[in-house]
Amino acid sequence: MQTDTEHRTSLLRLAGNPRELLAAARSNLELWANLLIIAWALGFMLWQGVGFAISVGTVFAIWAILSVSLNLVVGFTGLLSVGHVGFFGIGAYTVAILTSQAEYEQLRTEAIPTFGWPFFAALPVGVLLAGLVALAVGVVFNRFRDDIYVLVSFGFAIISFNVFLNWRGLTRGAFGIHDIPRPQVGGWALSGELEFLAFVLAALGLIVLISWFIVTSSFGRVLTTIREDEEAIAVFGYRTTHYKLAVWTISAMMAGLAGGLFASWTSFVDPNSFILLESMLLVAIVILGGLATIWGSLLGAMAFVLLEEGMRFLPFLPTIHVGQARLVVLGILLVLLMLFRPQGLVGRYKL
Amino acid sequence: MIAQRISLNNLLAVVLTLAAAAYVGWKVSQAPNQAIQFAFNGLSVGAVYALLAIGFTLVYSTVWFFDLYYGAAAALGAYGVFYLRSQETLGGLYAVNNIVVNVLFAAVTAGVVAWALHASVYPRLRSRLQPTVLRGMLGLLAAGAGVYTGVVLTFPQELHVILSPVLGIGIAVGATWFLYQAFQGLVAGRVLLALVAVSGVAAAALGAYCGYFVFNAPESKLYLSWGVSCMLAGVVGLALYRGLYVYMRERSRSPLIMLVASLGILLAMTAFTSIVFESTPRPLPEALGSEPWTFAGATIKGFNVFTVGVALAGFLFLLYLLQYTSFGMAVRAIGDDEEVSKVVGINTTTVIAAVFFIGAVYAALAGILSGHDTAIQPRMGLLLLLKGWIASVVGGIGNLHGAILGGFVLGMIEQFGIWDLAGEWRDVISFVLLILFLSFWPRGLLPRK
Repeated sequence: MQTDTEHRTSLLRLAGNPRELLAAARSNLELWANLLIIAWALGFMLWQGVGFAISVGTVFAIWAILSVSLNLVVGFTGLLSVGHVGFFGIGAYTVAILTSQAEYEQLRTEAIPTFGWPFFAALPVGVLLAGLVALAVGVVFNRFRDDIYVLVSFGFAIISFNVFLNWRGLTRGAFGIHDIPRPQVGGWALSGELEFLAFVLAALGLIVLISWFIVTSSFGRVLTTIREDEEAIAVFGYRTTHYKLAVWTISAMMAGLAGGLFASWTSFVDPNSFILLESMLLVAIVILGGLATIWGSLLGAMAFVLLEEGMRFLPFLPTIHVGQARLVVLGILLVLLMLFRPQGLVGRYKL
Repeated sequence: MIAQRISLNNLLAVVLTLAAAAYVGWKVSQAPNQAIQFAFNGLSVGAVYALLAIGFTLVYSTVWFFDLYYGAAAALGAYGVFYLRSQETLGGLYAVNNIVVNVLFAAVTAGVVAWALHASVYPRLRSRLQPTVLRGMLGLLAAGAGVYTGVVLTFPQELHVILSPVLGIGIAVGATWFLYQAFQGLVAGRVLLALVAVSGVAAAALGAYCGYFVFNAPESKLYLSWGVSCMLAGVVGLALYRGLYVYMRERSRSPLIMLVASLGILLAMTAFTSIVFESTPRPLPEALGSEPWTFAGATIKGFNVFTVGVALAGFLFLLYLLQYTSFGMAVRAIGDDEEVSKVVGINTTTVIAAVFFIGAVYAALAGILSGHDTAIQPRMGLLLLLKGWIASVVGGIGNLHGAILGGFVLGMIEQFGIWDLAGEWRDVISFVLLILFLSFWPRGLLPRK
């Protein structure tokens, strides 16, 4: 046993011993990751000003909703799903189709019916639709696990992408849907960036709260046990398929909410936002932040957004390559994480 | 209970097959010419899937985890051909010759050759030569291989000049060795020596002729570039196994760790390809047999027949390798139980590394063939990987016969499925097929014993 003074002198000794220093740094990696990412975010905000922070904040909030929702499935329940982007797309397209007021006949392109619903009427429909699709898909997916689960979730992402791209009578295919209005409460439209950021952050807060309730409830404990040993808890009389189906549906509804917000924010959706690569990116963010922690997902989304924005300022990287370069960095990070830290930066569960 | 379930599934299979047969029969009676066209397309698409599926099955049934690099290898093969040939055939329009890429591949090749020499030659010569001298020689050889790769990638216009001597020597040595092995079982003593001497001279002549032929035939450059990019894809696959997966497998037995790591590799390599070549689709130069023939009212390309031939040849080669060689026996033993095969003295690391090499070569070949048929884009790898994966599930996971059957079945079903639907829906069809199979017949058409 070491006393305090001995501990202090051992810190000095560490400086001369790289292997021990590395071990010490690794044991405190969580702290360092937290500090680094928060400092990075604050520094960025101070450097680039408020306007920049607002737009980056909105991107962060949407990614954060997605990654918190995916973490419920991947981290807490242990089902590695790569198909989450499908539910994101269902939410986005539902809101887009129901609220868009574009007059396509004038543009002489393929026309689709316009409904002109208000945002707050369309959003619940999108969320419910994502949930219903998730329920139907989940019934089929529930019997698979491990790598076969990954394969079928790939399949879901590809099928949903093809539906968005090829069901032209509903989604206008590759042309996309534009003129999606911002949310409107009474006479007050959330047209400003700051109002919208506040709205999205409120939604993120709601999602985090719901996730927190799920995770800390007895329901959440059953999920964690399913992850650790499904047979063991099935022996005690828990219907694990129902639990898995429930969390899968809830998670998909959260992704649908993120999709609705995304559609309203960009005011334009096309299938390219919902490709399989985005889904793989999302899995990478969840694993980077940490499996089975809500805070980790927020951290992962923050790190990803900062990475993307930070790369824009690299002098040797042309701007058109930033979108791909972040994928290169994230891919390499994923490999390193799997090698040295399979639970992610602040994770509680090793894959 | 179980028996009931199985019979229900069998009933469903019979009903679905009959329905599909009735549908296809009805369509064929409506438009026989079109049916031939679709059947032919199904065969040629199925050949690519079959090629992917057999390589995939080889890797998967050895290590039992899904290696997503396999998809990146397909894209790497196709883009390798594009890299080596575009500078001439596309007239410098999209030509790329990037020093970073050249150095990267040269370094990876040098590392892999160094490891291969260390694993194969070093233990045999260690007792005869001084370790320092031996290491220096092997290191020089590896560095030479790296430099050679760099030269090949830097001057792709001179591919036939650079590769012909190596090809000639390789053919000569290979033929001599093959004849030596063949004669060894028949005769012995001085007769063997004389026969080997004669066959050595003949093999040298053959090698010289082949080298001379390649040197004088600039149109062979396309096929040389196929070989080079297949080798590069294989080398990268081997490097990933030896440099990465070995350590991960030491630390954890969870297959998801490797899957996620290879997901990262796939992400990084796809994005890197997009940076180097841009993400828009590109054509590959025309291969031999690209002119369409008309056969019974259907348009058929000689190249597609060639693709089917390549798939069958690849299947037969792999079957021979697995069933009749000691290497194949080791591979099957590792697939059955890795720990026990280690105990009985199989060098599992070397064998698995070779398996990764072969698997990546198959993937690259499939990527090249499909790239010549349609166009290439950085994202193609993932989709090809998924198709190969589906084909191996349909055929019966881990079974080589099932893999080639599954590939052709998938190709046929995809093509006949889009007859009434539009062509865009074929990915949806194959994934619906996958989910059907996983739900009702998870062991596939030909289950692994």
